[in-house]
Amino acid sequence: MSNSKLYKGSLNTIILKLLNEHDKMYGYEITQKVKALTKGELKITEGALYPALHKLEAEGLLDVEVAKVDNRLRKYYKLTETGTKETVTKLEELAEYIKTMQALVNPKLA
Amino acid sequence: MKLTKQEIQFIDNYLIKNEVKFWDVRIELLDHIVSAVEDKMTNEGISFNEALLDVHRSFGNQFIEFGVSKDKIFEKGLYQSNAGFKKFIRNKQKEIGRKNRKRYWVIFRETFFLQKFILEYIVFILAIFITYQYKPKAAFMIALLALVVPELLKFKYVFKKGVRHSLNANMVGLLNTSFLCFQGMFLDFYKDEFTYNGIIDYRYIICFYVLVYPLVRVSFNLYKEVLNTTKERYKLLIS
Repeated sequence: MSNSKLYKGSLNTIILKLLNEHDKMYGYEITQKVKALTKGELKITEGALYPALHKLEAEGLLDVEVAKVDNRLRKYYKLTETGTKETVTKLEELAEYIKTMQALVNPKLA
Repeated sequence: MKLTKQEIQFIDNYLIKNEVKFWDVRIELLDHIVSAVEDKMTNEGISFNEALLDVHRSFGNQFIEFGVSKDKIFEKGLYQSNAGFKKFIRNKQKEIGRKNRKRYWVIFRETFFLQKFILEYIVFILAIFITYQYKPKAAFMIALLALVVPELLKFKYVFKKGVRHSLNANMVGLLNTSFLCFQGMFLDFYKDEFTYNGIIDYRYIICFYVLVYPLVRVSFNLYKEVLNTTKERYKLLIS
């Protein structure tokens, strides 16, 4: 990834968006999904992913489900009702941000 | 490539050696590390040791290879630094605290609309009020007991392995105990205000206990809620 700082503020929105599209996901699955969707351009580090997941869980946007998989426990994250509503708001905010940046960086396309 | 039971156990022991003592923190790290190691072994064709060392570093655990002989790199690399895991635990602790505080006020609001609680609170106040007419000290003891009982009930659970080694259970237990410490501090701080010529005036202390009672009660309800989830997950872990 060329500049991680540019993506940092959007991490929560990325997580919420992915969970909105999938019923439930576990930590490693999220990192791999982001890597695959961005063709390796964006790699979410463990040091950034888990604090974000735990924060979203503490805020009541995510719920946790634990299941036994291959001799170990797996924590699945899924959106709560508030989380689903928040995803819509966050995505709108991000779209607005992209539009503003587009107007600044490339006015012809905006 | 799936890891064997022994390899998974090795990773679990490696996490314990790196001071990830709480099982409810370890399960998430263990699953992530096992998935990442399996992935690296399959897609990058590297060995278990190399993959584990790679994942260890990706958590922010720095390892300086300089001066370490090649045959000791794996062993030394895994235990040279656990800074990344420590940060992970600190962050988790902070978020559990936030989650508990948030949940506390939700339960608090719910409890105040429960008929059962309203009745319980009225009976509690009446019992103290009536007792106070005859024996103020006995009324004080009843009020104090109401605050201490949840703390005593906790002893039934705190020594159980699944609870003792759970960060969630430990933190919610601490919240519960803090109310008891708070009332102790209150009494200690204002003890001179309640004593007139060597005689203790129990009125204010009792009023304070009556006001604190719902807070303690809600705190114990939260404790029970977290404990049930913890016990359920621990049962799954050892099954």
